[in-house]
Amino acid sequence: MKTVRVTLEVNNEKIRLEVKPYETLLETLRERLSLTGAKEACSLGSCGACTILLNGTPVRSCLILTPEVDGASITTIEGLQKGDKLHPLQEAFMEKGAVQCGFCTSGMIITAKGLLDRNSKPDKKAIIKTMSSNICRCTGYKKIVEAVEEASRRPE
Amino acid sequence: MILPRFEYKKARTIEEALELYSRYNGEAFYLAGGTDLIPLLKLRLFNPRAVIDIKGIQGLRAISKKAGSLIVGPNVTLYELKDNLEVRGYLPCLSESLDATSCETLQMRGTIGGNILQNTRCLQYNKSLEWRTARGFCYKMGGETCNVVPGVRSCLSNYCGDNAPALMTVDAKVRLVGPEGERTVKIEKLFSGDGKIPFNVKKGEFITEIIIPLKKTDGAYEKLTVRGSIDYPLVGVAVTAKDDYARIAVTGIGPSPRLYELKKINVKAINDIADKAYEDARPVLNAVLTPAYRKKMVRVLIKKACNRLGLGGSK
Amino acid sequence: MDDNLKIVGKRVVRSDSYAKVTGGALYTADLKLAGMLYAKVLRSPYPHARILKIDVSGALRVPGVKAAISGFDAYGVKWGVFRYTQDHAMLPTDKVRYIGEDVAAVAAVDEEAAIEALSYIKVEYEPLDAVFDPVESMKDGAPQIHEQYKNNINIHVHIDVGEVDKAMAKAYLVREDTFKAAGEAYAMMEPYAVVASYANGYLDLWMPNAGPHVRAKALSNLLKLPLNRVRVRHINSGGAFGGRSEVAPGDLVASLLSIKSGRPVKLVLTREENATSSRQVHDITATVKTGMKKDGTIVAKDYRVIYDGGAYSSTGPIATSIPFYVYEECYRFPNVRYNGYRVFTNKGIRGMYGCHGRAFLAGNESQMDIMARELGLDPVDVRLKNGLTAGEITATKSKISSCGLKEAIIEASEKTNLRKRWKKREKNRGIGMGCVAIMCGFPMGFRSGSSCYVKINDDGQATLVTGLVDNGQGNESMIIQVASEVLGLPMGDINLVNADTEVTNLDPGAYSQAAAYVGANAVKAACDNARKRIIAIASEKLGVPETEIDLKDRVAYSVGQPDKRMPISWIAREAFFRGEPIVATGSFFPDIDFEREWVTRPWGQMAGTFSFGASVAEVEVDYETGKIKVPRFTAAHDCGRPINPMAVEGQMEGSIQQAGIATITEGNMWHRGFLLNPDLLEYKIPLACDMPEIETIIVSSYDPKGPFGAKEGGLTVRMNAYSAIACAFTNATGILFEELPLTPDKVLSLLEKNKGVR
Repeated sequence: MKTVRVTLEVNNEKIRLEVKPYETLLETLRERLSLTGAKEACSLGSCGACTILLNGTPVRSCLILTPEVDGASITTIEGLQKGDKLHPLQEAFMEKGAVQCGFCTSGMIITAKGLLDRNSKPDKKAIIKTMSSNICRCTGYKKIVEAVEEASRRPE
Repeated sequence: MILPRFEYKKARTIEEALELYSRYNGEAFYLAGGTDLIPLLKLRLFNPRAVIDIKGIQGLRAISKKAGSLIVGPNVTLYELKDNLEVRGYLPCLSESLDATSCETLQMRGTIGGNILQNTRCLQYNKSLEWRTARGFCYKMGGETCNVVPGVRSCLSNYCGDNAPALMTVDAKVRLVGPEGERTVKIEKLFSGDGKIPFNVKKGEFITEIIIPLKKTDGAYEKLTVRGSIDYPLVGVAVTAKDDYARIAVTGIGPSPRLYELKKINVKAINDIADKAYEDARPVLNAVLTPAYRKKMVRVLIKKACNRLGLGGSK
Repeated sequence: MDDNLKIVGKRVVRSDSYAKVTGGALYTADLKLAGMLYAKVLRSPYPHARILKIDVSGALRVPGVKAAISGFDAYGVKWGVFRYTQDHAMLPTDKVRYIGEDVAAVAAVDEEAAIEALSYIKVEYEPLDAVFDPVESMKDGAPQIHEQYKNNINIHVHIDVGEVDKAMAKAYLVREDTFKAAGEAYAMMEPYAVVASYANGYLDLWMPNAGPHVRAKALSNLLKLPLNRVRVRHINSGGAFGGRSEVAPGDLVASLLSIKSGRPVKLVLTREENATSSRQVHDITATVKTGMKKDGTIVAKDYRVIYDGGAYSSTGPIATSIPFYVYEECYRFPNVRYNGYRVFTNKGIRGMYGCHGRAFLAGNESQMDIMARELGLDPVDVRLKNGLTAGEITATKSKISSCGLKEAIIEASEKTNLRKRWKKREKNRGIGMGCVAIMCGFPMGFRSGSSCYVKINDDGQATLVTGLVDNGQGNESMIIQVASEVLGLPMGDINLVNADTEVTNLDPGAYSQAAAYVGANAVKAACDNARKRIIAIASEKLGVPETEIDLKDRVAYSVGQPDKRMPISWIAREAFFRGEPIVATGSFFPDIDFEREWVTRPWGQMAGTFSFGASVAEVEVDYETGKIKVPRFTAAHDCGRPINPMAVEGQMEGSIQQAGIATITEGNMWHRGFLLNPDLLEYKIPLACDMPEIETIIVSSYDPKGPFGAKEGGLTVRMNAYSAIACAFTNATGILFEELPLTPDKVLSLLEKNKGVR
């Protein structure tokens, strides 16, 4: 089967790839680009561990075919920091103890970034609503919500 | 989990989409948000030769007003539609059903067209090929009988869309385009009632417009779930009322949502409809809560929604 | 508590967080080795069938396939956690015993080729009758699942203390109830994965595990390879909760494929496979009979508990016992009889679980409340009356050293105004308390202890080497924090090599609640020894007695004359000069009764110490829909002393989801041998919006033997949260639960059945 040529901007880097027509964005990121931060936890879009930003919108990459997003801008967890400087969400997740096993973490942080990009001062209710897009098995979510609140208080 | 092999084609126009569909001899699926289709393909419930991406077609992601109706493109995401001023102002039932659909990030990807035309669901259907092979293919998959109620030669799967019932209550119509031309139908006519082939959509047809009369209405959507996000409705009840008239639609039980009319609003009429809807609901053990319970909740949710709106003086 | 501690007891950022928030932390599925192949497993479609023939040759003809194996390529070894439970071949050659069991596997250059190859493997089965209900399974005439276990009874734990029947007959109030619970799914976020790489006679493996040494040992046995040829390496783990403790069929599959192909092999399970074919949690039916005096003192308990074990033993004896032990370590039972039966059925394998035993524990606690009310007592009265205290001995002869149970009960009840609200019985609202104790470790023979090696490097930084494992709870960071305290070095100066069988020594593993009490104690001992050496040199060089020297911020200094100081890096180099680099080992072996055996000798000191906890749940019951809401949850946990309070809170909060809200949402559903919800949509893991307002209370009883007084960090909540919810439900409705999860349909049935009860 013929491959499809796509051009993606991933974490501010322009990349040209030949991909399978039936390849998911998650596969492309993990297998071709070695960006293993986004995780495959359920494959069917139920958990959010694969969440990345697609043109700024947080979406489940396991449900997207890479050819669909030809020309798009993708941000993964690896692209959040600026050089050595972590994004306030990354700092806040660390400081608030919102990371335990870490498997849901990149999806959580990206989902939260999507929120803060839309609404820089969300109230607790809005944070809980947004973060209810992602499953965590370790933390009980309390410190994750606190981390997002804390990050919203810091300038980017 | 990798997908089975298929080709990817991007349609730039409606004509191109139809042409691609016929090129693949109908062994193709239209792809919008992918939140319903991709899981079905990963589970190998379908094996198309190609997917035809219709997100690039001009004009299908617009919302406009025309002759007193809201014209919504099928590719408008649930999140975008939820934010729309007219929806919020005139169509509270739809507003609630959009907000209640799955979770925020899925709302940002899923489209209203795709959400309406989602496949029906069943605990013994939405499973991997290996699981289903071991179990034996059910009627919906081409087997002899239903796996949930053995012996039954029809499909009892559930239509679990949150928004179609709301749209039914606000008199929405849907414009379809296909190889044989265009047609516009009331949204309730889309549903066949047959779980195996849940939609009266001809081969190659897809939605190009959802047309909603913009009348200021009262409305509510009650959704029964185990969790507060992500879940499909175990029962969903949409109610829209205006003056002395209301419509009630029930989703989540059986292959199609059911629509009821309240030609006069009073407590007795509401109770009668609730009783009728209860009678009409025939759930089976194909969702995580018991059928008897879900059946009961049809009545409870109808009354709850009506109470919330203060219909018939109740509150 | 005396505290001149610098970092232990402080909220610190965990050492593993940085890699996890930047996407740099590697998990097994992220690994890529040169020449690596992808494996796929062919699984049994039958719940019970004889294997007549397996022919993998067709698979080998698919382009890209480099190896194909079945049980006939293994070495005929059956493995078991215990010598008397060796029933698991991993890849069977005689029978398949559950749908989803591993039967054959292939390794290919990509996943597509592997999937295609599976379709060419021919297996001939002769289906046999299957049995899915444990009660049916125990009956004469039921299909025998294993030859050696008559009536499919895998394990029978029988404990009989005192004179139960006599005491029961004399009791003022006697009550017997039966409680059921559906087995749960671990649903850890990381689906199981293994990478096996056989090269130059050595087999290296990576997989999420809770104890690499027992993994390596098991594989050494299964593969008939010397133990030093099997090395389990460190890798991050995406949650375990007890479900990653033992060797898995996938480990054997990947190893055989790697040995056969001569290349590294990666096997990644789908979420469905993780649910059906790794481990599950036992369904439990518990009959609880309790006799009480008029003043609420428990005089007798008589238990009959049936555990649905699935198709193989797994940690059978342990699982059959733990719910009983965590309860008898919490309360005084002068007379108690326990009959626990683990029974085989043709379903997936059930293992130990962090939240194991909810039917038994929640049943006991809510029954206790109903009896208390009848006697005019409240939940606090009855628990304080029967709760154990420091110095007491449990029914099965474990001595309790430190005990913060009373403090936990009092603090949790005062914070929530429990007594008043429980008595008042507001409409549709309820409040309830659940208590439990947790053994910090249990007898694991010579593997019960831990040891650590520490070296001070020439820049004055340190490296710790220990077998201790982290599954996400923060064990790695905890021991770095302990080392930091003892060595006077910042956490960032301390590197850690852990959970690698080639380099690190034995450790009990992360499945027996021993990481703080045993693992960190060994680290502390090693660092204490290194500290002595550092201080000895400093004393010599500074001319100050050793007793006056402290280590802080990379410096050794005289406490009395602080300007007399020298950097630890200089001391390290001085030591190198002397030909005696600063390296030290330390170990900790808990004081437990090694004669104790789960089945044959179920008494004696279980663990070096115990943690205690009390949780309080507040619920609202909607009588129309049966939906239960949990607006508030308060948990108090006695962990001796929290090493990192933030990590302990995290454990407690996570437990409120996994054992608390799970009470009303979680349960595996079956249709005969088919798991109906092996996914993350229909298996209802609570989401952020489902969680209550949470308050956590850390109680410090300062254990005399724990490192800095520490005991395990939070597991009591995993084993009492459901009790708190069940008790709150009973308070609200006057009804005892019959079956968990208390989903709305079950609640509505109960309410209808019990109309008029209050």
